[in-house]
Amino acid sequence: MKVINLYELKETFNNEGILICFAGPFSHSIIEELGNAVKRYLEAEQMAKDIMMDVFSTFIEQTQNVRNYARQKVDEGNRDCDFSSGIVVIGKNGTSYEVSSGNIVGKEDIREALDTLDMLEKLDKKELKTLYKQNLRKTLPPGANPGLGLIDMARKASQPLVYSLKDIDDRYCFFSLKAII
Amino acid sequence: MEMLAIEGTKSTPEILFDPATGVLSMSGESYPENSFEFYRPILSWLARFSAVHHGPLTFNTNLSYLNTGSTKCMMDILDLLEESHLNGKTVAVNWYYDEENHRAFETAEEFKEEVSVPFNIIPVSEQP
Repeated sequence: MKVINLYELKETFNNEGILICFAGPFSHSIIEELGNAVKRYLEAEQMAKDIMMDVFSTFIEQTQNVRNYARQKVDEGNRDCDFSSGIVVIGKNGTSYEVSSGNIVGKEDIREALDTLDMLEKLDKKELKTLYKQNLRKTLPPGANPGLGLIDMARKASQPLVYSLKDIDDRYCFFSLKAII
Repeated sequence: MEMLAIEGTKSTPEILFDPATGVLSMSGESYPENSFEFYRPILSWLARFSAVHHGPLTFNTNLSYLNTGSTKCMMDILDLLEESHLNGKTVAVNWYYDEENHRAFETAEEFKEEVSVPFNIIPVSEQP
């Protein structure tokens, strides 16, 4: 049996400035526990409360996006893979914090989010606020996603949100999203 | 009407609604797994209460964090209060926030911008 080289893995984390990483299925209780751990960790870092809350809220929005997407796929009866399995990383780069998440998504499913991200990139903070409020005021069928998560992340980030896609096969790809706080 | 009391958890706020005093209070953090499911009973309670109750209605909140799903539901709660206010009832919102958390203040201000209900934003010092 091959032993995983955890030392190398840890070195990679150190080199990349990764403070916290979780990979595996995102259940609601894991999101709660990790959220608590993230907050404790950031409190110990003695950072400003605003920054701490921005990192925490971005972490929650990203992990809940992965979780909600996984639930949607399960509801559709799609068992192609474990959609709840994802990765979330909080790192530090100089004076800024980076919150990233990654998960497997259907290429058709992700198109709308990519269009939103491309559109958000062009907006300044004031325009983001206006758009946020417009979406907040949209009348939706019960339980529908108001699409506020990405806008909220963009409002809290100091730079436009960054994403990348890695092809897995014809239908699926791995979607990564990074917010710099 | 019966008293509404929901215990808080890590991701859901504690909620108390006393029909005798007309005071609805919420405190804690709000990022439930499904915000709509969590807030639905509170919204329906508030709607039923508003239909039969004609005394003053006070909404006290001390929420350190709301995810976007909860923000949407909070807007629905404030819209119900706005309706009562426009119908001539005495309604007030007291929104408490940690004075060190400027984001929480901005959140409160953005809600305040959306309604005409008397809306007090009150800083709370966390220092002992």
